[in-house]
Amino acid sequence: MKVILSIAKTTFAEAIRRKVLFIIFLIGLTFVGIAPGLSVLSARQERTVLVGFTLGIIQLTSALIAIVLTVYLIPNEIERRTIYTILSKPVRRVQFFVGKYLGAVAALGMMMAAMTALLILVFAWQQRETSIAQLAPLAKAPVLYFIQMSLLAAVAMCFSAMVQPIVNFFLSGGVYLVGTLFGTVFQTLQENQGTHPATKAFATFVMSILPNFNRFNVQNPIINPNAQIGNEAAYYLSSTAYGLAYIAVLLIIGMIAFDRREF
Amino acid sequence: MGAAITTTNLTKTYTLRGNRRVNVVQDLNLEVEEGEIFGFLGPNGAGKTTTIKMLLNIIEATSGVATIFGHDVDDMTVHRIISYLPEKPYYYEHMTGQEILRFYASLFGIKDEAKCNALLEKVNLYNDRTKPISQYSKGMQQRIGLAQSLLNDPKLLFLDEPTGGLDPIAHIEIRDLILQFRDEGKTVFISSHELSDIERICDRVAIIVKGKIARQGKLEDLLAGGRIEITAENVPDSISQNLKAKLTDGIVSTSHNRLIVDLPDSHTPNEVLDALRGSDAQILSVIPRRKRLEDLFLETVQEDTTAPEAKA
Repeated sequence: MKVILSIAKTTFAEAIRRKVLFIIFLIGLTFVGIAPGLSVLSARQERTVLVGFTLGIIQLTSALIAIVLTVYLIPNEIERRTIYTILSKPVRRVQFFVGKYLGAVAALGMMMAAMTALLILVFAWQQRETSIAQLAPLAKAPVLYFIQMSLLAAVAMCFSAMVQPIVNFFLSGGVYLVGTLFGTVFQTLQENQGTHPATKAFATFVMSILPNFNRFNVQNPIINPNAQIGNEAAYYLSSTAYGLAYIAVLLIIGMIAFDRREF
Repeated sequence: MGAAITTTNLTKTYTLRGNRRVNVVQDLNLEVEEGEIFGFLGPNGAGKTTTIKMLLNIIEATSGVATIFGHDVDDMTVHRIISYLPEKPYYYEHMTGQEILRFYASLFGIKDEAKCNALLEKVNLYNDRTKPISQYSKGMQQRIGLAQSLLNDPKLLFLDEPTGGLDPIAHIEIRDLILQFRDEGKTVFISSHELSDIERICDRVAIIVKGKIARQGKLEDLLAGGRIEITAENVPDSISQNLKAKLTDGIVSTSHNRLIVDLPDSHTPNEVLDALRGSDAQILSVIPRRKRLEDLFLETVQEDTTAPEAKA
């Protein structure tokens, strides 16, 4: 475990220094910061739009950070030969792989936490709101986003053991898009009586393989109409468990591929 | 002393597009004795780094067996007693020299700060320990690489081109450090193109060409068979003819009124020198031409490229 933590710590320290990630993070922060100035709606609408828009910014920025950060994690180590000095030590490939992933997720989590903190500050300032009870719920959605982005990072990590970074970028981005935007479409296809059985079978197949990223988008009923949350705690727990289960499966597949990879 | 490294018919085959199979390393049989400095030579693409990677269990051999101190290379306990310095190593640039050592030490579960500092002193980087690696020169990076490779007090070090691309001072520093390792009883396996270094510091060498061992043995045995060149002028024809007739294992030639006698070093030069001194001839030079590793290397590589198999 100590080996994994050492690798994670180094990965984290390196990730937060990567210029490209820092730029994406700064752009995200800037948009979160200027969000109030973009609204021309009524006070009540403003509150909803501000939160929705800012959460969208956090989600988009985090998705970009998750992919850009993860696709280069393993290839960079191979290209720079650091992997050879590490694997020549008593370090198993599995430990290296998990350590890299955890370091990346920690960096991602820190950046998401910073954006969420800014969202709360901006909201408090704009709404003249100082009550913790009113402000704390704003942090709920980003918690599920963090699971969502950790899942996306696991997708990219899994692919990084098999394909080149540029291919991985589009592949992981594609999985995220399909899992987010087309999840509802596939579900409709599956449930529609008039759909051809072959199309239905295909939809079932895709839905059963791809992670449903929509499961973590609880704040937007337009995107996620089926998310009728009766028991919020149970929903959060089940979504987290769903995300963690997918992450575990993806990491296991990635580890098997990485263990067989020659470099 | 036992064997530090043993390989038996170690082979690595890659399958390329079109199902074409290429043997990068083929039936490699090596034996490296404990406590020696072993030079592993070969032209680019000969299979040196692939061999090292197989020995480090970074890649898996297609067939054959490799053991380190009697253990299979995939045995994790082996990784506690070996270390590796890759060619042109890169270290996390945001870290300082001290942090790099702490990081690698943590991979062994070592928390001994004094040990890290002692190693920084050993490689002469103690005063630069708080500088980020990005500010280190190539020689300093190589030295921090050596320091990280000594953290576990390894019994066996693999060094891939340890002096490649270094300036003369850094080059000498690294070479001296490698010699120190031998004094400390460590086994060192060096892959290098710096033949003069190898000749100076190695006990035994192996030359690998196209994935196969072409030569292997003690340097003194491999480099045996030097020559002595004697040059004289104004040598009477009778003496020249006499030497030509007598020296069947040497080459006697005349050029611009000079006689050049080329003898194997197993043949004493006294006979020739006595014959020349007894005449009006003037001896200009007697030069022992020791066989160098460079000669052996070129000879080995050329033999391989002119072999019928290679021609085919």
